Amino acid sequence: MTPRVVVTGAGVCSPLGTGIDEFADALWSGKSAIVPSVRFPGSAIAEFGDFNPTPWLGNKGVRVLDRGTRFLCVAAQMALSSTSLLQDAAGEGDPDLGLVCGTMFGGVHSIAMFDWSGLVEGPSMVSPMEFPNTVINAPAGQAAIKHKLRGVNSTICAGLGSGLHAIHYAAEFLRFGRARCLMAGGMEEVCEEASLGFIKLGISSRTGRTRPFAADRDGAVPGEGSALWMLERDETALARGTAPRFEICGFGTTNDVRPEGAAAAVGQALEETGIGPGDIGCIIAGANGTPADAVEARALRCVFGERLGRIPVSAPKAAIGETMGASGAFGAVAAGLALERQEAPPTAEFHSTEFGLQLSSKSQPFEGEYALIDALSCEGNNAALVIRLWKK
Amino acid sequence: MKRVVVTGIGVISPLGTGRATFWSALLAGKSGIGPVTAFDSTQYAAHIGAEVRDFVPALYVKKQQPGRMGRASQLAIGAARLAIEDSGIDLNSVSPRRIGVSMGTTSGEPLFVEHYNDARRQSGDDAVDPEWMALYPCHVIPNHVANEFDLHGPSIMIPTACAAGNYAIGYAHDLIRTGRAEAMLAGGADAFSRIPYMGFARLGAIAPERCQPFDKNRKGMVPGEGSGILVLEPLDSARARGAKIYAEVLGYGVSCDAHHMTAAHPQADGAIRAMSAAMKDSGVGVRDIDYISAHGTGTPTNDRIESLAVRTLFAEYAPKIPMSSIKSMLGHTMGAASAIEAAACAMALDSGWIPPTINHEEPDPDCGLDVVPNQSRRTNPKIVLNNAYAFGGNNASLCLGRYQ
Repeated sequence: MTPRVVVTGAGVCSPLGTGIDEFADALWSGKSAIVPSVRFPGSAIAEFGDFNPTPWLGNKGVRVLDRGTRFLCVAAQMALSSTSLLQDAAGEGDPDLGLVCGTMFGGVHSIAMFDWSGLVEGPSMVSPMEFPNTVINAPAGQAAIKHKLRGVNSTICAGLGSGLHAIHYAAEFLRFGRARCLMAGGMEEVCEEASLGFIKLGISSRTGRTRPFAADRDGAVPGEGSALWMLERDETALARGTAPRFEICGFGTTNDVRPEGAAAAVGQALEETGIGPGDIGCIIAGANGTPADAVEARALRCVFGERLGRIPVSAPKAAIGETMGASGAFGAVAAGLALERQEAPPTAEFHSTEFGLQLSSKSQPFEGEYALIDALSCEGNNAALVIRLWKK
Repeated sequence: MKRVVVTGIGVISPLGTGRATFWSALLAGKSGIGPVTAFDSTQYAAHIGAEVRDFVPALYVKKQQPGRMGRASQLAIGAARLAIEDSGIDLNSVSPRRIGVSMGTTSGEPLFVEHYNDARRQSGDDAVDPEWMALYPCHVIPNHVANEFDLHGPSIMIPTACAAGNYAIGYAHDLIRTGRAEAMLAGGADAFSRIPYMGFARLGAIAPERCQPFDKNRKGMVPGEGSGILVLEPLDSARARGAKIYAEVLGYGVSCDAHHMTAAHPQADGAIRAMSAAMKDSGVGVRDIDYISAHGTGTPTNDRIESLAVRTLFAEYAPKIPMSSIKSMLGHTMGAASAIEAAACAMALDSGWIPPTINHEEPDPDCGLDVVPNQSRRTNPKIVLNNAYAFGGNNASLCLGRYQ
């Protein structure tokens, strides 16, 4: 029998709330973290102002970590501490403990700054200390050093589906027995380089507001942060006296810009779970206020048919912005909380939808043990994950 | 679980394009290293590189516009097209959602970061074309490959730097083994860029004239570019269509040093664990390994630590296992390196020949292994290991076997 992979803890570093409880409270209160940007005047971003990681990471070795890596290291610190897996600073670290990080732009700002210093000051003047931050796997590698994670360490890029892919990748590695405990999720920082990409993809909101699935939506607003789950096999968790909270049930992915391609990803996730559309209690959507929301709505309609109008749907990007490579992980965290509360979180500032979906600016109670998280992307990188409350 | 085999090999490398050209150059001990031409290296502390000089993107990128994507994507599509042709697979015979692309890279599409900075430097922020940043995130590389060939299965980039090819091939093998995919294009791609070049030069890691892995007087690595892509299929479908089978992917293992971003662990902790995890995943033991394709960058530290890892793990068998570094000929093609090396491993298993470590004059007693100096050798290997190590302490070893 295939080993069951469960979630035993979480770490969340978001401008909406840092720490799972703060994040949950803010999400359920219907607040949005989107603010007029301090760093990029004239833009609206779900950003941290001046993020201080020292309460979680101390001072040592933090200076060399770039902005996104700090988010990741803070989320990892929380995920580790919530599962009693923080490693002894004097020890070697656990060879079966690891990290799988999804990201889209990764450390592009560090890379551009390194190149810029070579242009301005000359190639022989660049900092050898900053060179390591120019590889795309640098955040995960830095987090491994910071937290002594000697097991599987991978970075996953699959566009807006990166976070869900990372969770699936980690779950597969655990099923294969290649690690004992793996953190998995995503990280993204908002920087000028990533924002330019965002604008060019034609997904940037002019009004600075994210209205997922709404008729008057005019684009997405970038967001940043990191969200991680701690994953392990159920028997590992139980043997070490840690209560599993959710189970990773099914995953699906396709690379297809058409609604039927996106629907196929959801269909695969349901099939792997061994359930039908009628078993899904709530949907955490990837909608971000762009035209692609229509593709997502059509894909969900393909899968759920008439029942779609009765399943609570929540679009957390209205509150946390489009965190790109981290967004799937944030969605997963929200879905887990929704299952525990049996309530889909509010979609911040929701007023109406043109797609007949059951969205609300208030939380919506539901009954059901399964939740679907989808990341159906305008570039075709579709991913879908089904989780459920853990039971023996 | 399904057995997974390599049925197609596509390589675009500093040593030549196409499986046959590449392989004969490797066995002949040729070098693809020369003066840097991609940019003016005058101000750099080093001047040699391993560039792909004969690459014409339009020969390979047919469905999409080659000018609307970065060089790593172009190289990847080139290697993918060659691999598909080599395999003889009829892509229309498999449901498009059951074929995917799994890639690795070190730098993704770094030339767009260069364009961005050049424009800002020369003409100010208004000169920046936002499209560069839309084409930068590295998942565009597998997406471009998938779009070129209308593949709708999993499309994923695993950018674990200079070990990424092994991660990507290993993951593709997982997807087939568990029945999630019917076929995968798997490998790595990187484009020659001043960004890593500048960093390696600043670290003093680049050799002045040539790459001499495991030589006592080795002076460093040589940055390069290229792409290597394999067609992976389940054994049963490969046999059913009468495909040429180069090798079987037996398994892989990954680990993290969690020690230093650029320097290897002094006791080779992660390298040892990656190799042993790969052997465990593959169900083989130390006595079964007939050849090791070394990471072998040619830097003093890498080669010493990698040799230590092999000596520690294989103990008394270590000196009997030939271990060569084709980076002596190819330079270090970054995220493509371990994919191209996996291609060489598959060819070694298929042909019975193992490629040499060239430029080898004086063995380093601190390495102390049989590095197949200067001449290729016929050894008929049955099971081989392909090692790859990366910044961030990311280590991956891939195990391949002769198909029997």
